Amino acid sequence: MTDTTWTTKQQELEKPKRNNLKFVIGGILIVAALGFLIFNALSDTQQYYVTVGEYYANPAKYHGSDLRLTAFVLGDSIKFTQIDDFTSRLEFDIADDINNPTQVMHIVAMNEPVPDLLQHEAQAVVEGSIGADGAMYANSGGLLLKCPTRYEEAAAAEAAVVE
Amino acid sequence: MLADIGYASLVTALIASVFAAFASWYGARTGNHRWVESARNAIAITFPLILVACLTMIVSLVRNDFSLEYVASVTSLDMPTYLKVTALWGGQKGSLLFWNLLLSLFTAAAMQRKWREDRELMPYALLVASFTQIFFLIITIFFENPFTRLPVVPLDGRGLNPLLRHPGMIIHPPMLYLGFVGFTIPYVFAMAALMSGHLDDAWIRTTRRWTLVAWLFLSLGLILGGRWAYDVLGWGGYWGWDPVENASLMPWLAGTAFLHSVMIQEKRGMFKLWNMVLIVITFLLVISGTFIVRSGVISSVHSFAQSAIGPLFFGFLVIMLVFSVYWIIRRHDALSAENRLNSFLSRESAFLANNFLIIAILAAVFIGTYFPIMSEMFGDKVVVGPPYYEKVTGPLFALLVLLMGIAPLTMWFRTNGMKMLRAMAWPAVGALIPIVIMIVVGLGSPGTWLGLWIATFAGILTVREYLKGTWARMRSKHENPFRALYSLVARNRRRYGGYLIHLGVVAMAFGIIGIEFFQQETQLLMQTGQTVDLGRYTLLFNGVDRFAGRDDLIITEATMDVYIGDRLVKTINPRTELYTRTGQPMTIPDLRSTPLEDFYVLLVAWEPQLADQATVRIYLNPLVNWVWAGGIIFIFGTLIAAWPDRADEKAIAASRARQRVAVATD
Repeated sequence: MTDTTWTTKQQELEKPKRNNLKFVIGGILIVAALGFLIFNALSDTQQYYVTVGEYYANPAKYHGSDLRLTAFVLGDSIKFTQIDDFTSRLEFDIADDINNPTQVMHIVAMNEPVPDLLQHEAQAVVEGSIGADGAMYANSGGLLLKCPTRYEEAAAAEAAVVE
Repeated sequence: MLADIGYASLVTALIASVFAAFASWYGARTGNHRWVESARNAIAITFPLILVACLTMIVSLVRNDFSLEYVASVTSLDMPTYLKVTALWGGQKGSLLFWNLLLSLFTAAAMQRKWREDRELMPYALLVASFTQIFFLIITIFFENPFTRLPVVPLDGRGLNPLLRHPGMIIHPPMLYLGFVGFTIPYVFAMAALMSGHLDDAWIRTTRRWTLVAWLFLSLGLILGGRWAYDVLGWGGYWGWDPVENASLMPWLAGTAFLHSVMIQEKRGMFKLWNMVLIVITFLLVISGTFIVRSGVISSVHSFAQSAIGPLFFGFLVIMLVFSVYWIIRRHDALSAENRLNSFLSRESAFLANNFLIIAILAAVFIGTYFPIMSEMFGDKVVVGPPYYEKVTGPLFALLVLLMGIAPLTMWFRTNGMKMLRAMAWPAVGALIPIVIMIVVGLGSPGTWLGLWIATFAGILTVREYLKGTWARMRSKHENPFRALYSLVARNRRRYGGYLIHLGVVAMAFGIIGIEFFQQETQLLMQTGQTVDLGRYTLLFNGVDRFAGRDDLIITEATMDVYIGDRLVKTINPRTELYTRTGQPMTIPDLRSTPLEDFYVLLVAWEPQLADQATVRIYLNPLVNWVWAGGIIFIFGTLIAAWPDRADEKAIAASRARQRVAVATD
């Protein structure tokens, strides 16, 4: 009698354990697959995120790789040229310090519309790669312009002028 | 004077919150309910106090009180009144004030309800809620004070960024904030359950309802944000995997996982610990999302601790993390499962798989979003863009949609595999029809065919759930089809509301496949009278006109005719608006929109000296309206599922009464 009870209990204990093991192995496999998926995508798509100054500190390091470069727009340099019916060229310069632009990167974006926020002092974030001529060629859809901070700074600057 | 009243009421609200925290703590320690009552009153008063602060700010905005720095930075004389009111959340400081208002509103509402039922939870709920409120009030009062004055009053303000002057942008932030702030309440009740040790079903019911409310608002916020991007940003897209977007997607994902796994806890008493963890994760993601958005720690190139509130948010995040983990570990015994998984093929496993997939997506988005910070710790700041997210989450989302279709076929405990396969056979074949059509027409690739098959298959299975239920009622109750459908949904709103959400997701999946894989675009220089073809459309360029608009606007507007074959279907006027005072241009697309596709045109460039030519950009966005239609279905489904159910409430009250009687007789 006691034996029977013992066996049944043992079985009851063992069954969920085996079940658990299945779930653990399944879980490990899924996590490993996910890890592979993420790792693979990360290594394919990552970009260095640097300022113009950082780029010029070590240009060789960034050649040939996809970059995300950020700096401020020099308003006078913005130029939109329609080369032929289906080709347009948007170019402008960006610098880390627009009041003292010693290091400047020339940005070229082919067949891109002029972003609304592309103005003097706006912060530009450009995705692309450095061409043979030393200019940065933006990827398609690789121009991002930001304004909010500029707006607040501009308000403060205006207030200072009034003062 | 007005600003002083606003500031004073904020400070008073802070004092009330500090008192509430102290009184609730003391009340919990001593078991003296009068202190707890007092804490509740103190929490209740913070809402009207913060409301006064918000109202004084709104009055200052409407009355152009440019002596306040915030008013001068977000409004200008020429702005219409409704925009001045909404400028309350148009900048950092105002939106934090607004955040405080919503938090106090939610907290006051949550603490008024269920007072009798959740008596044991209340002191702790009050403590956690008031602590959160204290944090946000401190940020507003000491670091981001919207009532700060300018030394010299400017004649006019800078005005709200034109990009934000869009109906979508007016409603989108409050919805997101409501969602974000709403998730505080589930967290508050979860922590209260942990701290009080009352981990029965009471907290999970309260939490589920509040989670659904917060989730509804966050979903609305996400959808409206996408629509705003599509209408305003002019790149024919709706989602860019920007850190700011990810910051609101992540808590939404965690909330979605919770709303699913909580059903296993209610039905089978399993996953208690996991549900607790999900609630904590959701709240921490809300706080960390606010942190990354407001501090600019990720979007800027090297900006850790750039803003004063960055470290504060980070500190708060760490405190809440340690606090939550401590209590979960301390109570983990009470959170052990009452049952075990019986079979791979069961409703429980389906929910488990759903959680796995959602958390996998969440993990991928989290890693991508925080990758710049992580990589910067080891040297270079490295970022990942949309391709990363698309590669990783694409297959996971596809699996999730597939599971969404299959899961309703599973049963609790154990499912008969053969029966399930039989139930899936015809829908699986039926879902091949659109693929066959695509192959015959010569559209798409194996990847898109698979995606379409999955979405169609899940759609058929979900619709069949409605048909099956309706048919059963028609036969058993002899009701007409509409009556049967209505009573089917009315009697089981959570279930059929949920399926409606699933149908919304299916529609969105079609839309996403359409725009991601079949979008066409071109940019070209057009002369007056010239035509260009894209897809089945022909666009005729009729010229450009420049004229003065309202306020300081100069409008440059093109006139174009859209033809399908020889038939004129619409005349469109894409334009650019230049706000001369700020020099800010704004590109406003025009489009011909149908359920099948959007023909979306932007005026890119035009020079007055070359008046008869202009550069235009044209997008053909197939099925994009399915995204918005799916969003509406989604929200409608959530409303059905979340609507308070009187019968449900009664049942809960009755079951609680039974529990109390049982406890008393024990």
